[in-house]
Parts: sequence; C-alpha cells; structure tokens
Amino acid sequence: MTEIRLDTLTKRYGTSTAVDGIDLTIGEGEFFSLLGPSGCGKSTTLRMIAGFVTPSAGRILLGDDDVTALPPEARDIGIVFQNYAIFPHMNVAANIAFGLKMRKVGKAEIDKRVREVLAQVGLEGYENRYSRELSGGEQQRVALARVLVTRPRILLLDEPLSALDKNMREEMKFWIKDLQKSLGITTVYVTHDQDEALTMSDRIGVMERSRLVQVGTPEEIYERPATLFVTGFIGHSNLIDVTARPETEGHCRVHFAGADFSARVRGALDKETPAQLAVRPENVIVDAETLPDGVVAFPAKVVSETYQGPIVRYRIDIQGTTITAERQNQAHRPRLAVGDAVLAGWDPARCETLLR
Amino acid sequence: MAAAMSKSDALVLDPARSIGRRPVRRPMPKLWLLVLPASLFFLIFFILPVASLLGMSFNKTIPGVLGFSSALTLDNYVRIFTRSLYFDAIFRSVGIGVLVSLVCLLLGYPLAYVIARTKVPARVTVLTILVLSSMQLDMVIRLYGLMVLLGDNGLINQMLLASGLVSAPLHLMYNTFGVVVGLVQVTLPFMIMSLIGVIRQIPPSFEEAARSLGASRAAAFRHVALPLSMPGILSGSLLVFAMSISSYVVPALMGGWKVLVLPIHVYQQIAEAGRWQFGAAIAAVLFLTSLLAVIVYDRAAAYIAGGRS
Repeated sequence: MTEIRLDTLTKRYGTSTAVDGIDLTIGEGEFFSLLGPSGCGKSTTLRMIAGFVTPSAGRILLGDDDVTALPPEARDIGIVFQNYAIFPHMNVAANIAFGLKMRKVGKAEIDKRVREVLAQVGLEGYENRYSRELSGGEQQRVALARVLVTRPRILLLDEPLSALDKNMREEMKFWIKDLQKSLGITTVYVTHDQDEALTMSDRIGVMERSRLVQVGTPEEIYERPATLFVTGFIGHSNLIDVTARPETEGHCRVHFAGADFSARVRGALDKETPAQLAVRPENVIVDAETLPDGVVAFPAKVVSETYQGPIVRYRIDIQGTTITAERQNQAHRPRLAVGDAVLAGWDPARCETLLR
Repeated sequence: MAAAMSKSDALVLDPARSIGRRPVRRPMPKLWLLVLPASLFFLIFFILPVASLLGMSFNKTIPGVLGFSSALTLDNYVRIFTRSLYFDAIFRSVGIGVLVSLVCLLLGYPLAYVIARTKVPARVTVLTILVLSSMQLDMVIRLYGLMVLLGDNGLINQMLLASGLVSAPLHLMYNTFGVVVGLVQVTLPFMIMSLIGVIRQIPPSFEEAARSLGASRAAAFRHVALPLSMPGILSGSLLVFAMSISSYVVPALMGGWKVLVLPIHVYQQIAEAGRWQFGAAIAAVLFLTSLLAVIVYDRAAAYIAGGRS
C-alpha cells in the first residue's frame, strides 16, 4: 500500500510543454484515472511515474521515497501497456518469471509464485503457451500476472482495454477493478474513455492541454464539471446561453427565456455577465401537460425525435433555443410527436453555471 | 502454373490480409505470363552458364581448351582437396567471411538500432541516406579511395610517421587486414539495412516492460531486444558472408594478389592459365561452401525460433 505524490511535475520538449506542473496525491489503495483526449499529457505523466521519461521539473514520491532520479528497474512499479508487451520469444511461464529472475529469486520459489499468480488471474495450465496463441483478454491477464507476481508498490495501466473488442472490454473493466480492490494496490489508470474512467475509478483527474483541470470522484466530475472542457468531455450537456447575476456564495441568479432561478456556480461574479448553463439531456424534463414541483418550466415545441432503444432523444425548441432531452423509453410514458406543444424544463439544483 | 495458383489463393484467403475484404475466389488471370520474361532471362543468362561451368569441372583440365566433353573425371576436385594451396584457400575464404560478418555486426548493430528507434522521419531519412550513400559510387572507385588512405605512403601512415608514433610504415593493405577492411566497407550497408528492418518490428514497449520488471538497460537488451533481433542478425550475416567469400575485386585490389582466397584462384586458373576446367571446379567448391552456410543459417534460425514457429 503506497501513496503516490506528484509535486509540480513538469515535462517540456523544447519550447512545448507536455505536462505542466501537476500537483496530485493518490491515496493508498486508490484507483485513480487520468482522463483526457490524446495529446493532453496523461501518458507522459504515467511514463514519468514509470521512469521512462525524465521530468523537466518537479518530484515523484512513492510513499516517503523520492524516485524522481531512479531508473525504471529500481522503482518497483508494475506497468501494463496498451499492446501488453508479452515477450513473444518466451512462453507464459517465462514471461511471468522474468521479473522474479531479474530479482534473483530462487527457482523453486519462482515456480510456486508463477503457479499462484496464474490461478489468481484464472489462467491455470497456460504455462507453455506463447503470446500469439492467446486472445487479447488472455494476453491482458498474462500482462497483469507478470507485474503482480513481483508484488510491485504501485500499478500503472496505460489504456489497457483499448485493444479489446467491446464485449471483452466490458468484462475486463469489472475484472480489473475487482482484482485491484482485492489486492488493495494503488493504481493509476490512463484512458481517453470517460465510460471506463467513470465505471472503474475511485477518483478521476481530467487533463486538458498539459494541465490537470479537475480532480474528483466520478460523481463529482459528472455532476459538477468545473470547466466547459470537462462538461463537454464527460458525457453530453446542453450548453444554454444565459445571463448570470451575483447571488450568494456558490450560487448565481440565472436569467433565461423570461425565467429567473438560482443555480450553482464555481468562482465569484461581481456583476451581471453572460454565462452558459450546462444541463445534461437526462435532466431535461419534457411532458405534454405538467412538470413536477421545483422544475423551471418553459413552453416548448418538439422539433425532432430519435428512437435509441432504451431511451428516446428529443430536440426541443424553447423560444429559439434548441436543446436535447432524453427520456426513458417506458411503456407508461406515451411518446411525444414532432410538432407537439409541450412543457420542458429542469431542476436548477442539477445544473451548473459556467462563466467564460 | 499450378504453384502460382495455389500461392495466390493462399494470399487471398489469409485472414490477416483480407481484413475488411471478403475472400474472393475468381478465376486467376494468367499471372505466370508476367514472370516468364524474368524467368527466361534467369535461365539463359544465369542457370545455363553456371550449369555448363559446373559440368566442365568434371572434364580433364587441358589449358586453353574451352568446351564440354563426355569423358568425366574427378581429377580437378581431388587436386583441390589434396593440394594445400587450394585446400587452405577454402578455410581462408570462410574465415574472412566469418570475420567480416562479425565486424559488420558489431559496427552495424548500434547504428541500426539508433536508426530503427528514431521517431523523427526527417532524421531517419538523413541517416538512411548516409548508410546508402556509400553504395552510390562504384566499388572499385571506393576501394581506390581506401588504398589512398591505407597504403604504405597513405594518409594514415603519413600521419603516424609525422607524429613519431611509428618509425616505419604499418602494412595496412596487401594483406588480410586490408581485405577485411575493404569487405566491411562494401558489405556494411547490407548488414545495417537487414538489422533496421527487424529492429523496427520490435515495439519499444517490450524493452520498457523488461525495464520496469527489474531489468537493467543491458539485461533488457540481452533478454529481449537481442533475441528478437536474431532473424535480422542471421539474415544480415548470411548476406555479408556470401558477398565476402564470393568477392573477387576486393581481395584483388586490397590483397594485392597476396591473400589467396577462392575467387582469386578461379581468376588465376581461368584468366591467366586458361585452365577452365580446374577453375570451374574451384568455383563449384566456392558455391557449395556458400550453400553450406545457407543450410547452417537455416538450422540456426529454426533452432532460435524454437517452439515459436
């Protein structure tokens, strides 16, 4: 169980900055995801923790040890790559034994631990296979077994699911998460897939253009995105142009389409200012007749309807502003028709005001 | 024709090659017509001459007589394997070939590794052009350049004498050393190109995985990069070995007729003594030596591939 601390970690290549002063503490046993689009610096950050990239500035601490200057082999870290990097000239047993051989562990002990870890990842009897005889999911398990057998202090996972097909990805998502929890190993998971990050993580750090822009639990990140970028990157949101006026700490008075209501805001505003209100499509409530209490309601018109199986997606026009609404496709709720005059609105408590 | 058909079908049905395409079986066009010109050229201008030379090697040696008779004899071969002058030349040729392969490997691997691992395309292009540029000039011209450098009055000896490091010129050519230097200069680009192709196929993450599992840089190279480079090392070595033992120009110029390897004997017997039949027998031995190297290579490759193939 090791805590990871990154202290103003920075990587510059010539004049461009790949990672810009990341301060972050990842707790013991935590599953932490670095989430962001390609080129945001998440992989470079992981490679600095692993020791493959030398930081331009800042420090990396594992527990109380400063490992910033240590080569990869002295860090006692397990890393699983996107392509798994199973050595093709060694069979599964030799692949798993590799780290133990490098640590000069005795032959009998190696055999015992290889058997144990193969049982742990559910690959008993695979000792003599070669990587080309394994499916993607099996290679994934071998790659994990190979690092776990060395009992590393922390586990780094670099987009380990992106090479798998969709069904296998779903299965491995939960398998990895369960394994991580049962071992209690501090884990950093790099991904560009918000769904993986939301499902697997204890906390998520969202990166944008070399910086860490928001750190929080999946719920915090999804419900209260800190910036326009995070709002757009995690899930879908309607971004509605509104006017915001100062109110209390953490809230502002929002004016839209003739209605006035209070909504959450990060940071303070001192005067009336244009802003954007982020409303998730599943939080837009549409009904032909009445909306529940506490919902700001507007007269609206159905512009289009898209049937998507479990949900039905509507485009709704509110006084010239078109927003998207999603409704569960349930038998007791009659579908709306294009052109219908309806009521549409949202609970202000579930919206976020984003200042420019 | 049948062989061409089945080979083409295998290509179409190979799942790795037909991703996104449906395997289609349609009547094959007459593809064999396309390989006919090259095959004919090869037959007339390569196989026939070599075969007639081989046939001639079983005729009695009569100086000045060029032709094939039906009276067969093994005299020429007996002579090669009983006279140390010729017998030693086999081992001299093989020894030089092995040495040149080793030197090319040691010089070429680091450079090939750097080129294969360079990510900036412009830099790769520049380095590759540098490697290949030595092949732009004709070999004879390059060897004359080398002679200017290595001769008793050459640049190197002039500098050594002027600096007082030596009192008499070092003999850097017209000996085995000169031949090896010349052959390395000629064959090194082939070794490097063979290695680049194979090293590029090894994902850098393999070595990184080894490092994070506790291997030092050297151990990661020894246990991962080196074994995975073996196909390139073997094919590059075979190419360099075959080029070295069959080279006539390099031993002629750099060895000054003093390093008697098989091709020099062939030339002397045929061009100088007009003994076509005996020269042909030496050429046949040279060819068999090369063939033996290919077999050894093949066995080694199969052994290294182990359970993987």
